[in-house]
Amino acid sequence: MQIAPTLKSASFRLAAAYAALFTISVVVLAAVIYFLVTGLADNGFRSRIRGEANTLHNEFETGGIQRLLRAITERQHDRLAGGLDYTLVDRSGKHLFGSVTVQSCSAGWVSFKGPPDGDEPPGQLEELRVLKTPLPGGYCLMIGDDAGKIRVFGKLILRSFGWGLLLSLTFAVLGGVFLSSNFLKRVEAMNRTAEAIIEGDMKRRIPRRAVSDDLDRLAATFNRMLDRITTLMDSLRHISNDVAHDLRTPLGRLRHFLEDAGRTAGTPEEYQLAIDKALSEVDGILDTFGAILRIAQIESGTRRAGFRSLRLSDLVQDICDSYEPSFEDAGKMLVRQIDPSIPICGDRELLVQSAANLLENALTHTPAGAKVVVELHLKGDFIELTVSDNGNGVPEGERARIFERFYRVEGSRTVAGNGLGLSIVEGVAELHSGWVTALDNNPGLRVAIRLPAAA
Amino acid sequence: MASILLIEDERETAEIIARGLDESGHNVRHEVRGDDGFNLAVEQSFDLLIIDRMLPGLDGLKLVQSLRARDVSTPVLFLSNLGGLNERVEGLNAGGDDYLGKPFGFTELLARVNALLRRPLSTGEQSTLKLGDLEMNLIRRRVMRAGREIDLLPREFTLLEYLLRRPEQVVTRTMLLEGVWDYHFDPRTNIVETHISRLRAKIGSDLVQTIRGSGYMIRANRAHA
Repeated sequence: MQIAPTLKSASFRLAAAYAALFTISVVVLAAVIYFLVTGLADNGFRSRIRGEANTLHNEFETGGIQRLLRAITERQHDRLAGGLDYTLVDRSGKHLFGSVTVQSCSAGWVSFKGPPDGDEPPGQLEELRVLKTPLPGGYCLMIGDDAGKIRVFGKLILRSFGWGLLLSLTFAVLGGVFLSSNFLKRVEAMNRTAEAIIEGDMKRRIPRRAVSDDLDRLAATFNRMLDRITTLMDSLRHISNDVAHDLRTPLGRLRHFLEDAGRTAGTPEEYQLAIDKALSEVDGILDTFGAILRIAQIESGTRRAGFRSLRLSDLVQDICDSYEPSFEDAGKMLVRQIDPSIPICGDRELLVQSAANLLENALTHTPAGAKVVVELHLKGDFIELTVSDNGNGVPEGERARIFERFYRVEGSRTVAGNGLGLSIVEGVAELHSGWVTALDNNPGLRVAIRLPAAA
Repeated sequence: MASILLIEDERETAEIIARGLDESGHNVRHEVRGDDGFNLAVEQSFDLLIIDRMLPGLDGLKLVQSLRARDVSTPVLFLSNLGGLNERVEGLNAGGDDYLGKPFGFTELLARVNALLRRPLSTGEQSTLKLGDLEMNLIRRRVMRAGREIDLLPREFTLLEYLLRRPEQVVTRTMLLEGVWDYHFDPRTNIVETHISRLRAKIGSDLVQTIRGSGYMIRANRAHA
């Protein structure tokens, strides 16, 4: 375990801060308890002696000095008062009982260091605290006890707090070091993964743990982000391949037309025909470029800035209105099941284009007599727009791939199109924080766009 | 014949545009730099300005903004390589009257130039549009031909209105998509064609003519004119 980075780690610093806070609170707690307990003990000590002095004073009042002496003697003998020291001095200063000596007998407390009576630490004097009570007739009654006990008790409290604190601090520091080195190890794993990826190993991922804690969730998010980046990089690689390939084909055809026209065309009509063919080929290429640029623009996310709140229901109705005649002309049926007044915050032009692309796909890739259903429903917290047909459908294995750029289902290549329409649909769905799926409509294809409902 | 100022720095594009407009009977001045073009547009009066978005000297957007700030209200057609969606809106907000993304066909450009030179009949003043024996009531949203009421769907009504406001002008498919549908992409399905044929079936096939390679034109039938 390396100590230096451990000590510098955020988690260790956090542990240290907690330890410091803990220490402060323990010290405050210890002080409070110390003063409370010693204060309470001191009060008890004083009131016990004061009570005893009052009792003995009463004895003196009722029975004079003889009765007092008898009471003291009995007490000393029976140790009734819990080991109190009694001294009684007469007017001339003669000790009638006990051995404590004082200068004057004014009422109040006085402290002495006396000879040890056995319960002090070795080599220390007994700390005696005495209450002086002057009695009528010049007598002086003194009752005292060992006050050292209170101090010893206080010290005991402080010492136990000290040990407790030391022990818990040791645990805190060790635990902090352990936890942060553990944490650091995981951060280091992330760091190594990132380094490996910088070095070019795009397949590396942060190791996950069985326990799902926040660090593990972070690792998972990190890994998902890496997956996404890898997908994007892959798609970028594919795209440059696909662009090259998909543009070579029409360019090759174009070259072929022109070469052919140059060789065989003789009349202006023949030249015109060749030019028209070449133009439509060039338009196709330009369309493909336009679509590529549009996808790039959609994926950049800059369009989000222009999101407006729209009535999606009206928008979809409007597109259906626009396409319905085309469906009728093609001998196909367009059925609408559109819930009214569903709002959305989005990009009108892109949503229109997406819906139009779906309708065009359903129109061009179904046989005559097909029935196409457009549905728009609000389902909980998302909006679902589906376009389903009862045509030939797309084989299961290919269904997920139809959103890939330039991907065209086998057999549909003869139909005009650039294989980018559904990529735009997917891009637009993702721009609106939604997603698109292709499902089996039994028979036919069902494409569903799900978008989060406007809040 | 209209006088047109073309401010465009791509030489070949400019030549093609200038030659084409010239052949169509317009008088074209060409400037390469934005600042030179601005000065000329302020000094002289033109019927139309065709301005590229990206120009040396002064950017096309700023050029038009400055012109509008000086109360030069000559119609402006923007040309742009920036085919993006935002750019079109920016161009129109800056004071442009129309926006054409490159690459474009010359027929498309010519149709838009002619449309801008003959500004459509304004909306506010009229309650009816007339062409031959066809009459459109804009308030009651009714169309009559030869005294007989014709039932049109809302979209067909808008389409006919767009055409009636530009009588005897070539209107391209893209202009219709933008002006009638507000669609700014090129649908593979020719929805314009299908709507035009529906419209023809309802109002009579003689009024809306197809101009091959360009678009459509509405013109009164001479027999009724």
